[in-house]
Amino acid sequence: MSVIRERDVPRPLFPRPARPPAPPGPDTERRGWRHSPGRAWPYLLVAPTVLGMLYLLVYPLVRTVLISLQDFRLRQLIRGDARFVGLRNYETLLTDGRFWQVVRRTFLFMAVNVVLIMLLATLVALVIERLGRRGRTAVLSALVLAWAMPVIAATTVFQWLFHSEFGIVNQTLTALGFESFDRYPWFAHGPAAFAILVVLIVWQSVPFAAVTLYSALTTVPPELYESARIDGATAGRIFRAVTFPMIRPIFMLVLSLEVIWTFKAFVQIWVMTNGGPGDATTILPVYAVQTALSSQRYDLGSAASMVTVVMMAGVLVLYFRQMFRQEGEAL
Amino acid sequence: MLAGLCALVIAGGLAACGGSGSSGDSADGTTTIDVWLMRDSVSAAFQQEFVDGFEAAHPDIKVKVQIQEWDGIGEKVTAALASNDAPDVIETGNTQVAQFAQSGGLLDLSDKVDELGGKDWLRGLAEPGAYEGKQYGIPYYAANRVVIYRTDLFRKAGVDAGTIKTRDQWITATKKLNTGGTQGIYLPGQMWYALAGFIWDEGGDLATRSGDDWKGTLDTPEALRGMDFYKELQALGKGPRDSDEAEPPQAEVMAAGRVAQIISTPGGAKVVAESNPELKGRLGFFPVPGKTAAQPGSVFIGGSDLVVPAASGKQDAALTFIGELTGDTWQRKLAVAMSYVPNRTTLADAVASDPGTAAMAAGAAVGRATPNTPGWAAVEAKNPLKDYMTAVLTGADARSEATEASQAITSAMKSGS
Amino acid sequence: MSAVRSRLRRLPLHAAAGATIVVCLFPVYWMVATAFRPNRDIQSADPRPLPRTWTLDHFRTAVGTEGFGVFWRNSVLVTLGAVLLALIVALGASYAVARMRWRGRRAFVLMVFIAQMAPWEALIIPIYIISRDTGMLDRLPTLTLIYFMMTLPFTIVVLRGFIAAIPAELEEAAQVDGCTRAGAFRHIAFPLLAPGLMATSLFGYITAWNEFTYANFLIIKHQDSRTLPVWLSSFQNVFGTDWGATMAASTLFALPALAVFLLLQRHVTTGFAAGAVKG
Repeated sequence: MSVIRERDVPRPLFPRPARPPAPPGPDTERRGWRHSPGRAWPYLLVAPTVLGMLYLLVYPLVRTVLISLQDFRLRQLIRGDARFVGLRNYETLLTDGRFWQVVRRTFLFMAVNVVLIMLLATLVALVIERLGRRGRTAVLSALVLAWAMPVIAATTVFQWLFHSEFGIVNQTLTALGFESFDRYPWFAHGPAAFAILVVLIVWQSVPFAAVTLYSALTTVPPELYESARIDGATAGRIFRAVTFPMIRPIFMLVLSLEVIWTFKAFVQIWVMTNGGPGDATTILPVYAVQTALSSQRYDLGSAASMVTVVMMAGVLVLYFRQMFRQEGEAL
Repeated sequence: MLAGLCALVIAGGLAACGGSGSSGDSADGTTTIDVWLMRDSVSAAFQQEFVDGFEAAHPDIKVKVQIQEWDGIGEKVTAALASNDAPDVIETGNTQVAQFAQSGGLLDLSDKVDELGGKDWLRGLAEPGAYEGKQYGIPYYAANRVVIYRTDLFRKAGVDAGTIKTRDQWITATKKLNTGGTQGIYLPGQMWYALAGFIWDEGGDLATRSGDDWKGTLDTPEALRGMDFYKELQALGKGPRDSDEAEPPQAEVMAAGRVAQIISTPGGAKVVAESNPELKGRLGFFPVPGKTAAQPGSVFIGGSDLVVPAASGKQDAALTFIGELTGDTWQRKLAVAMSYVPNRTTLADAVASDPGTAAMAAGAAVGRATPNTPGWAAVEAKNPLKDYMTAVLTGADARSEATEASQAITSAMKSGS
Repeated sequence: MSAVRSRLRRLPLHAAAGATIVVCLFPVYWMVATAFRPNRDIQSADPRPLPRTWTLDHFRTAVGTEGFGVFWRNSVLVTLGAVLLALIVALGASYAVARMRWRGRRAFVLMVFIAQMAPWEALIIPIYIISRDTGMLDRLPTLTLIYFMMTLPFTIVVLRGFIAAIPAELEEAAQVDGCTRAGAFRHIAFPLLAPGLMATSLFGYITAWNEFTYANFLIIKHQDSRTLPVWLSSFQNVFGTDWGATMAASTLFALPALAVFLLLQRHVTTGFAAGAVKG
């Protein structure tokens, strides 16, 4: 908000009589930054980030792209005499019929997960906000514990709960009279396995989303609620008109992060179903590891990862556009 | 700026802790070699005994053994082979040698085969250790599956394990055992190594080579008969149809309940007895029965080979080490200490007194390995075999499922080669 | 009477809170209970929520493993280093993004977002090659830097959101009162940022604390540089996994996260109070 005002009034908002008239230097006065020690500051502040990213991310990423354009296997990793093959790896990948099935499944998986995560997380965050101090600590601690449970442990426990022979879910369902669940092999049926993975991922993701959304809720000034309540607005209206607009930036942020993370979900699937039965739970990262990394086809693996990044960016392009538009207004 | 400083401090502090432990030729003329062995491949006591013995016999060589974990070992060995500072001897699974050999990261040891006594090596170890006619892996030890059974339950059911020599006898006995609260056999639905054995017995195979291409062959009549037998056997107990022997660990299942038999390496009996001391002394072994009494059933030979990375700078010392560990003296001691099948057939007498290992050695003579091609790793990564088995066991049509699984194997092997 | 009514009105709320706690904790409970069960009861034909017999063996196995102390120290060093580094670097960057206007800002934000999508599973090969060629294999600082980079984009993105949500007028008012820009930030904005700092440092902790692939791939010969997740894998053997020990170790894993949270929880309430002052 402040920046907009500054732009509208290019001169300092507060007169600075104490300051001697600055020499017409190019730095301090031209754009009229208040209290700004110099234009170099923002660049200094982001310099560590930029330098770190250039060396630790961009540089390896460029080399990944190079690898995806080469014939690069274990041999080339050891010997280092890779040969360029142009777009052949991408061609191999994109002409594989199975690949496109996997892409469709990835999007379905992502959509189902993200919708459930955002819905539940928002509800949980609202509940936490309304609780007293003790209740709040209890729920938050439970969330943090669930979040901190190592992925392997969580995945294994879910696998046990739904085990056909030794699982407590089948035992309970059978005891309740659903005889058809006696020895029901959950992981042998595609849709059932898919559903269990969704439950697992949602269970693991909601804590982060809920804690973050709750943190955002605490920044909403309470007087806004009061005035809305005085106006006689219903809870639903208050959420739509007051709460959500205030937390929208964080909400969209969490949404985009969940898109990225569910798109990249791997360990849970790999440990639980290995992408099976058949291909029922194979999404892009699993596919990449199956077809590429396990047989040390680093070139194909890199190509698959690049395609995944491009697709993810495609999903999020809408979010970026909105974010920039918002920023243009808000800042 | 502050951040940069902080980074320096942290990095510096950590660097101090993570000092290089790399070793080299020291001034007094001794060479130190780094050796990677797998967890549980040797006991700490045996390792100590061997290293002491070795260093006494070769005072110019010092041995530094590191124990590696199974989880993520493929990546780890890959990283080691490609590094500038590779270990000098690595133990790898017999079926993994091909993919590392293909990469050019291993030293070709073909000219050492005679010297190391190669003519008597177990086929199941030596063949997977070779790639395109050259020997890269030196057989280290083998372990294969046998039937572990509860002697008390057998006695109570009036079954004499000694008479079980054929599949038919095995089925009859297991049926007899599978009554009341007792499971005749606990066979999880996805123990594909066992299925492979049954298929080999029938004369089939998992995949065959034609020219340069490999093709999945689960849909041949022989392979289908193997699956039929698996299904028949699996039904004589409560093995989960949708998981393998590690999930849950079948030894724990046997320890917990009235399970008459499992198919496992003999070492599994130790785990059973540790978990339930009451069963100590009540476990027996026999080789997996074959189709006829003349020959035990084919089994998958698991085991390890020793390889030397091409990047090792101390290859002579490494070969000396391999020569000792795979030589007669230490192989006999290793086999007895660890209940392994020694790496050559001529040493089978070393384990004759250990019933579990003896049963294993009988099977090892006719043991096989998975298709010897780098592409097989891609099949195991996806493992269509497991899906196939679960589908058939839960009532799907075997023939069409087999066709589908064979296609999956074919395409996986193509992508992986 | 009104107390009863308000309690009744809050019943659905408390029911929801209770359900959340149960759903969150049931798998966690199962993990902890497994850690106390003897091996053969872990997956039995008759699964029960309460262990039949209790044992501390798994914790003894987990803690008694050779090298436990070293791995523990390595993990703490690497995790703390990565999280602190990420927080400091990200605070500067997110402040610059949220509060300052400069050429290249948009490009920077976009870069941070794309960094969030980084395909770390594919980057491992080039990072391996680079580390090898610069002699950085087998060293903990390499891991620290990688975990730092894994968590940095997220930390910037989240902190930027929190800083942007703090009304700039607050700082301006303080600055009018004679604070420097940095001082205004420290006294006014920082307490409001506490929840954001909590969320991001927890995220960094959980990411760095659990990471296995890089720790396994980049620490090759120097076994004293291994971290806890790699050590955790030592409970896997040829006969399957020692799940009791794994679950015991996982329990020990999760506890520090709870401790970190409870420690930071105070700051959340501080942030609360500051919010109240603001009103």
